[in-house]
Amino acid sequence: MRSANPADLALPFGFGRRVTGAALALAIAALILVLFTSILSVSVAGSSASSTVDLPHLLRMTAIQAALTTVLSLAAGVALAWALNRLKFPGRDALASLFAAAIVAPGLVIAFGLIAVWGRAGWVGDFFGLFGLEWTGSIFGLHGILAAHVILDGAFAARVLLTRLDAVPASRLKIGQSLGLSPLKRFMLIDWPALAGSLPGLGAIIFLLAFTSFPIVLLLGGGPANQTLEVAIYSAVRLNFDLEGAVLLALAQLAFCTLVIAPMLYFTPDISVGGSTADYHWPQTTGANTLAIGVLGLGLAGFAMPLVAVLANGLGPGLSNVLTSEAFWDATWVSLSIGMSSALLTLLLALGLSLGRSAFNSPFARLTVGLPAYTYLIVPAVVLSLGFFLAVRGTGVRPQSAAPFVLITANALLALPFAMAVLGPALNAIDKRYARTAQSLALSGWQRWRYVEMPLLHRELGLILALGFCFSLGDLGTISLFGTNEFATLPWLMFRALGAYRSNDAAAIAALLLILTFVAFWLPTLVFKDKRDA
Amino acid sequence: MLDLKNVRFAYKGMEHPYDFTVQVQPGEIVLVAGRSGSGKSTLLDLIAGFRTPTSGSVRLDEKDLLPLPPEERPVSILFQNDNLFDHLSVARNLALGLPRGTSPADETAAITEALDQVGLPHYGDRIVTQLSGGQKQRVALARTLLREKPVVLLDEPFANLDAETAEEMRQLVKQLTNKQNWHTVIVSHLSEDAEVLADRAYWLENYSLAEA
Repeated sequence: MRSANPADLALPFGFGRRVTGAALALAIAALILVLFTSILSVSVAGSSASSTVDLPHLLRMTAIQAALTTVLSLAAGVALAWALNRLKFPGRDALASLFAAAIVAPGLVIAFGLIAVWGRAGWVGDFFGLFGLEWTGSIFGLHGILAAHVILDGAFAARVLLTRLDAVPASRLKIGQSLGLSPLKRFMLIDWPALAGSLPGLGAIIFLLAFTSFPIVLLLGGGPANQTLEVAIYSAVRLNFDLEGAVLLALAQLAFCTLVIAPMLYFTPDISVGGSTADYHWPQTTGANTLAIGVLGLGLAGFAMPLVAVLANGLGPGLSNVLTSEAFWDATWVSLSIGMSSALLTLLLALGLSLGRSAFNSPFARLTVGLPAYTYLIVPAVVLSLGFFLAVRGTGVRPQSAAPFVLITANALLALPFAMAVLGPALNAIDKRYARTAQSLALSGWQRWRYVEMPLLHRELGLILALGFCFSLGDLGTISLFGTNEFATLPWLMFRALGAYRSNDAAAIAALLLILTFVAFWLPTLVFKDKRDA
Repeated sequence: MLDLKNVRFAYKGMEHPYDFTVQVQPGEIVLVAGRSGSGKSTLLDLIAGFRTPTSGSVRLDEKDLLPLPPEERPVSILFQNDNLFDHLSVARNLALGLPRGTSPADETAAITEALDQVGLPHYGDRIVTQLSGGQKQRVALARTLLREKPVVLLDEPFANLDAETAEEMRQLVKQLTNKQNWHTVIVSHLSEDAEVLADRAYWLENYSLAEA
């Protein structure tokens, strides 16, 4: 007979998890406080100086582009999800996972791909040239920013919404088919109710992503008229050396995110992009099929063309030059090591906070432990980076020498809300199903993790590692304040190549970055397969 | 008479196909029982047209049903769940069972009558989420009445109901089948359904039906 361990009796159930969760939450909160104080101290110290920042214009511009991005991305997402749900063809699942990867595709690469297609010397220009015509359209400006955002966020929305449509029970589809519902009625009565609940939360995420978007606006903004807060902060620090202006902008961004975006994220849905649950296909009319094929073709062309352009241009003449350059291999090593460290830190923080949060009974304690994980929602990349920059500078250390630590920490904090959104619902489901059994068997926290939670969370753990790694790999916001000639990541190297008009080099780096991102996104999800059905 | 003759069907990877032969007379209730995964719901899918057999025939009064898509078959089907659209009122759910172009006055009259028949008068304005499990199944039966289809398929319709409500529903199905001359096929694992409801019962085993 197993004798009771005195330690088990002395400690209440889940004690270790609660302590770990609370300690991590406290550490993150303390770090944010330090960064915030650093920002505020510059603000107070420099309050007498004058700044040229046009705050109302920046706020208006940022909010307008984010709102337009949200509406257009949701519309594109609904249309694409609908088309994918209706059509059955070989490669459908591969296409759906390509859309899922949009969330991690580096914005800088997508923007570059758009220029390769729609820019003056791009594919469209070449096509016009075949007929002796000149392409006068420009990809730079608000429409370019919107196009890049809709490509990324629309594809991501499509993947999330497709999960909802594929989860409509077969019995409901059969009833609808038996009743002879028209394609429009089918959409209104069956699809829309399945989608509607996800739209506010998904819209909030897209608004946040667009509001805090950095590389796309930096590359496609086309000048101060289309600048957003994030880019303005970068310009103030790196180009104008106007720290006071940067701090003012950072505070405005903080205030806006706290007051507007954080409450919106109350609606945040489960962003898990898991497999399909549909087990019945209701064939539809030829007209609806044609429409679905048209929508999917258009969406695929819009999404895939910039990616194909990046690969076609990148895997060309500039490739050998890049592959033989020492700077490229240095940047690759930095990107990979920071990406892996950041992914691991994201996973540990997400696990510690999520397990800790679920071990508390009080809703207030759960909220308090979970809250610091959502730092990014109120402190976006460039603001976080500015805080680190000022805090490190305040200690007398050269900011660049702290860069690896800052990049790992900042990127992990940026990926954390997404990791929590993946882990939270899965942990809740396990808790609901097995908590009482585990408790009645008096399983220790470790046993519970080893035998119950870890085997059931395989897919989520893989997804979190992939998200953490890819977010870090594509980051330009944090590195933009810390990057130097000696310390560069791949996106920073590419950005510098663009700035120096070495477009062949930039194209090759973009292609390699894209390949690396997609491989890194899919690899962990293949290794960490779902064991629930095993 | 609903007549299935050697209706064969196999899912991908199945070595042996299902082979169904069964007849159902008007006003008769035939029950099909069997273990989970034995193919009971597949049988209903084949009658309703959700799946296409590889061979065999499905006829109603000599009319071949196989060329018809599900929406054109003279068949109504009821599942354990999800028969109704939760965000619509009871009346709107029922109206979906009426022919296109029914006038509003006729629609109201037909819905009122159908609700009366299933013992839910004045429920038209209710939202589906306000109904109990038994009431939902009654509303679904009311829609079946409105559709006026002679073949009624019931897929574990009482499995989620308490004993008393399930018993009431059995009586209602029996009464409506007799009155409307439905050819009713019910798939169930409840022994009460076989004892109380069925005129004939079949056991589905080894991919085919054997009279119990």
